[in-house]
Amino acid sequence: MIKLNNVAKRFGDKEILRDVSFSIGAGEVACLIGPSGSGKSTILRCINGLERHDAGSIEVDGQLVTTASLPQIRSTLGMVFQRFNLFPHRTAVENVMEGPVHVLREPVSQARERAMSLLDKVGLAEHADHLPGQLSGGQQQRVGIARALAMQPRAILFDEPTSALDPERVGEVLRVMRSLAEEGMTMLVVTHEIGFAREVADTVFFADEGRIIEQGPARDVLTAPQVERTQLFLSRVLAPL
Amino acid sequence: MQEFASDAILFLPVLMRGLWTTILLTICALALSIVLGMGWALLGASSNAFLRGISITVVNVVRGIPIIVQLFVVYFVLPEWGLDFPPFAAGVVGLGVAYSVYQAENFRGGIASVDHNLVEAGVALGMKRSTILSRIILPLGIRTALPSLGNTTVMLLKDSSIASTITIAELTREGQLLAISTFKNGTIYLLIALLYLAASLPLAAGVRALERKMARK
Repeated sequence: MIKLNNVAKRFGDKEILRDVSFSIGAGEVACLIGPSGSGKSTILRCINGLERHDAGSIEVDGQLVTTASLPQIRSTLGMVFQRFNLFPHRTAVENVMEGPVHVLREPVSQARERAMSLLDKVGLAEHADHLPGQLSGGQQQRVGIARALAMQPRAILFDEPTSALDPERVGEVLRVMRSLAEEGMTMLVVTHEIGFAREVADTVFFADEGRIIEQGPARDVLTAPQVERTQLFLSRVLAPL
Repeated sequence: MQEFASDAILFLPVLMRGLWTTILLTICALALSIVLGMGWALLGASSNAFLRGISITVVNVVRGIPIIVQLFVVYFVLPEWGLDFPPFAAGVVGLGVAYSVYQAENFRGGIASVDHNLVEAGVALGMKRSTILSRIILPLGIRTALPSLGNTTVMLLKDSSIASTITIAELTREGQLLAISTFKNGTIYLLIALLYLAASLPLAAGVRALERKMARK
């Protein structure tokens, strides 16, 4: 479904990514973990072209990511942002309808109906007419997930979806993500939630200094990492004291 | 005081007619300045360096010339090149163009204030540039620009008095004519000042209400 081949990216003379290669199959849930500045978010942003990669190739659903193919690819690839990025001048339901109506040209009544059922799915039906500013972080992020789902994507990219949340609000977002995973959604999740990765992910990629230095089944990478850097990272994350 | 009252009753109908022309002139020039100003702002936000250059040049040139000179150019000079405007139209064009550069600044500030993350959210949804502009950047940018747009409108209302110099019978011009023929300078200019205030104070109050509403968001 998503396939990266020797992807490289630089900002000026700073190397951000080098030789990043991995692939995610349909229905697979992959977590991308690693320290800050390791290039995790950049990898995600290259997949839907928010950043242009300099070398290597990226394929989504068998289609090569190029300037020409990006509009088509973006409409089949959902993205959930760390800071939600909801449109502040539109209500929850309008945020969810925005893509279907203004990208897919769906009739408004049909889009509203689908948006309402998606809000219901993420537990926010009664907040449909609230503006983002009137919602908690966890609620906003659930609207963000509903907005991504409204495009009926083939896969969803999550960019640290719980990092900007109150600790008490993390659970409600992870629950929604877990239920998506159980329904067979293809997901690539950049996260620091090792618990979520262990319980939900099929595959874990560990990034450090712009490279994927370890990848494999979640259980293996998280419980018996082979690479020293991964061991160090996990020991610090799991036992910070 | 009694004399002021009786004079006022005598002069007010004429001055009210002038005020009406002032308001009409302000509204028309405002509309033109908004359309042109949005144009300059969009050119200025373009990715094309040539279009940005046009916008910067227009703004700097127009901003650097006194409004009264611009009105004279439109009313006295353009006819020599075959562009003959009647006084009112010349006033609308002159004031509209002069104020378009301030509107451009207002819109530019509004557009620049839009959170780039929201643009990325639109891009990630697969929106085209034009959709991002019309659905995200303009609604949010204009909202932010509204208070300063209101302030600009108050300034435009007052500066419309400059159009008295090209024979438009707006409030100041009607007052001048009355003053010349009656020598009641004190009464007439006091009335003119009060009428401008009566028109601009509600506008200013509207701007403050808008600002309060924005602050709550």
